[in-house]
Amino acid sequence: MDALGGKDQVVFTVGGGATETPAMARPDPVAQLVQTLGLKAEDAAEPTALVTAGDLEAVAGKLKTAGFMLMDVVGVDYGAYVQPRPQRFSVLYNVYHPYDHRRLFLRVWLRDGESLPSLFPVWKSANYLEREVYDLMGVVFDNHPDLRKILTPDDLEGHPLRKDFPIEETPTLFRDGRFIDPPTFRAGMTGQSAGLTGWRGSLRKGGTREMEPPVMPEGGPK
Amino acid sequence: MPLKELFERDWQELESEGILFSSLEKLVAWGRSNSLWPATFGLACCAIEMMSATDGRNDLARFGSEVFRASPRQADVMIVAGRLSKKMAPIMRRVYDQMPDPKWVISMGACASSGGMFNNYAVVQNVDSVVPVDIFVPGCPPRPEALIFAVMQLQKKVRGEAFDQLGNQLPMVDAWTR
Amino acid sequence: MSLKDRPPVDKQSGTLPRSQMQPDHQESTRPERVGSLTAQQGSLMHTEVMSLNVGPQHPSTHGVLRLVVDMDGEYVIKVTPHMGYLHTGFEKTFEHRTYQQGVTYAPRTDYLHSFGHELAYVLGVEKLMQAEVPERATTVRVILHELGRIHSHLVFLGTALMDLGAITLFFYCFREKEAVQDLFEEVCGYRMNQGYFRVGGLSRDIPDGWADNVQKFVDSFDKHVDEYASMFATNPIFLDRAVGVGVIPADVAIDLGLTGPNLRASGVPLDHRKANPYCGYDSYDFDVPVSQAGDSQARFVLRLDELRESAKIVRQALKRLKPGPVKDPNRKISLPPRHELETSMEAVIHHFKLVTEGFHPPLGEVYVPVETARGEVGYYIISDGGSMPYRVKIRAPSFVNLQALEYACVGGQFADLITVLATIDPVLGDVDR
Repeated sequence: MDALGGKDQVVFTVGGGATETPAMARPDPVAQLVQTLGLKAEDAAEPTALVTAGDLEAVAGKLKTAGFMLMDVVGVDYGAYVQPRPQRFSVLYNVYHPYDHRRLFLRVWLRDGESLPSLFPVWKSANYLEREVYDLMGVVFDNHPDLRKILTPDDLEGHPLRKDFPIEETPTLFRDGRFIDPPTFRAGMTGQSAGLTGWRGSLRKGGTREMEPPVMPEGGPK
Repeated sequence: MPLKELFERDWQELESEGILFSSLEKLVAWGRSNSLWPATFGLACCAIEMMSATDGRNDLARFGSEVFRASPRQADVMIVAGRLSKKMAPIMRRVYDQMPDPKWVISMGACASSGGMFNNYAVVQNVDSVVPVDIFVPGCPPRPEALIFAVMQLQKKVRGEAFDQLGNQLPMVDAWTR
Repeated sequence: MSLKDRPPVDKQSGTLPRSQMQPDHQESTRPERVGSLTAQQGSLMHTEVMSLNVGPQHPSTHGVLRLVVDMDGEYVIKVTPHMGYLHTGFEKTFEHRTYQQGVTYAPRTDYLHSFGHELAYVLGVEKLMQAEVPERATTVRVILHELGRIHSHLVFLGTALMDLGAITLFFYCFREKEAVQDLFEEVCGYRMNQGYFRVGGLSRDIPDGWADNVQKFVDSFDKHVDEYASMFATNPIFLDRAVGVGVIPADVAIDLGLTGPNLRASGVPLDHRKANPYCGYDSYDFDVPVSQAGDSQARFVLRLDELRESAKIVRQALKRLKPGPVKDPNRKISLPPRHELETSMEAVIHHFKLVTEGFHPPLGEVYVPVETARGEVGYYIISDGGSMPYRVKIRAPSFVNLQALEYACVGGQFADLITVLATIDPVLGDVDR
């Protein structure tokens, strides 16, 4: 527990200090935190740790004792993702330490219809955030004191952010009686579709040359 | 001038002496058009521009519409400022029904007029499907000047000086039957 | 019927002692005094708990928030906010628009500090794309980000004090707000909801003379802030209504997930401009105002101080403004300049592909926190390799901050609820998304 650091005790100071290790060998505070919690880190751009639904409350309790706050709860439906994922749904808990500024995402995988323990007993801020995930994504949180719809109207059936919920775009009616259906004219592509040309753009490769500022061509704009 | 002369002398003669004639209907419409009190129905971004329309620089008060009433029962015109969600639509209808006749609606902004950029499950695509709209103001959000222009157009409509697309004069609101 | 049965009210603050307040949501833990009052059968005065509906169409709810307030006489015993009356489906719409089109949507969530949301979204996509932002673009972003904060706080001051009955300040604040909006309009053609940032820079360079206009504005701005302060900060009516009202202690604020000025008013110095610097904020010299009081007055005064700090940052940023490019030179991300389209076929192809289809970031999930006028805004963006995001989750500060309302109002009088709601400063577009 000591390595977690308390509110008053900042264990991992970033930069400075007499016992400073070389920059390469300096332990990543969040990675160490994940190790201390006994979790498996996920290979992702943001520090993410995998948690099972059973461990969630215990892990959250430890983080809360260490002074972390719950910033956000993100529900994701991976039902239409290009790569296979362990389960269809995932709930991410965005926790943050307000004094030593460590951020960690806790990821829980769950099937459709599975429920998660509510973190309301741990963090009061989970109240609205979990209600929102329940409303928009349909993940049920057990023991939540007030699990009602929060954003969508009461008569809306379904959970809008699920991938099988249509966006329900209204076609545009023109004077001459034609309808334009927005998806027909949408050029943007999801990861599933290859598109007409298969052009994927590319990331930056090699060095970057300095771009010259735009120059007005001789004799003004043509 | 004795009152009797008003009925005996020619009206052109009287007008040259500074007495104006009008139908009572026109007089009421004139008074009404210059004191259109809006109900505050600020929903989203447009509400900020609606507030800006009343500030010192734009000064909607020049057109008699600065008195934003919190209670719909004291208002003449409802400015629907912002995107109307489907959850809010019944409430807006109720607010509209609570306004006393005669009443008008200005649909302010692209979202209220057509759904704007939010073509999805949550937003009403045209406020006109919930309440009858008199003036549509384009913009996202419209400038305060655009709202003031809309109020001026509405004043014309109230006074019976507005025309439809075919050039037919629109009737002024019948003050006595509504 | 005696009012002596009431618990002692703190004379100074006018609220019930904290022990009588009921932060939790259980019905059963209502204060004892409710029972003692209703039990007085046969007395002349009959009292009962009354539910009062506030909103969604109400001038003091700053939009379309609906509150159901359970009242015991003049005292609030429970507040139940109902939101969603402005639910616009932003997150769903993001999934059906290209990354570049998303920049148009982001500012419309929090329309008062729209540059904050725009910046958070753009920084997220840039992290995904590994885009390089030129220095001039970053500096302009800082200027606009801070001007946006000034814009937001000015609207807050004007409308919040109008809720307390001080209508004069509204006109003064909106005078400067118009000046800020003129600056926005000059640079991107729009007074609100600008959509000026692009992935990898800005949509176009700032116009000539704009920096001078900004300089003129910030030079005179401190004087105006003093003017605002002189109009309300020592006013006894304001102090009566704000001091000690809606106190949120630091541990509760952290527990409730508050961020931004609301958290800093409770004594937690969390500011992402200092904690997780973006746009080179670590190289600017500014202070983060922190107050220990945690009450409504602290939240007012803290925002007033933030106005000064923002002007300070803008002044420093203006000095750094050097000529240079404002877009990432990578043609796979940013549009080629107009004159190239007439000579280069490659530029035309890039232009066409970017405009119709957009760029394709690699698979990944990113989150970049940004400190806006309301608190931490972050866009959790998931890419599946397509040109539209797979999922965008907006961390909306107003939504989380609003949870403090239930805590801070219980036990106070009804008029305090208006004060607390105004000082929490939610933007309903941000709450309902």
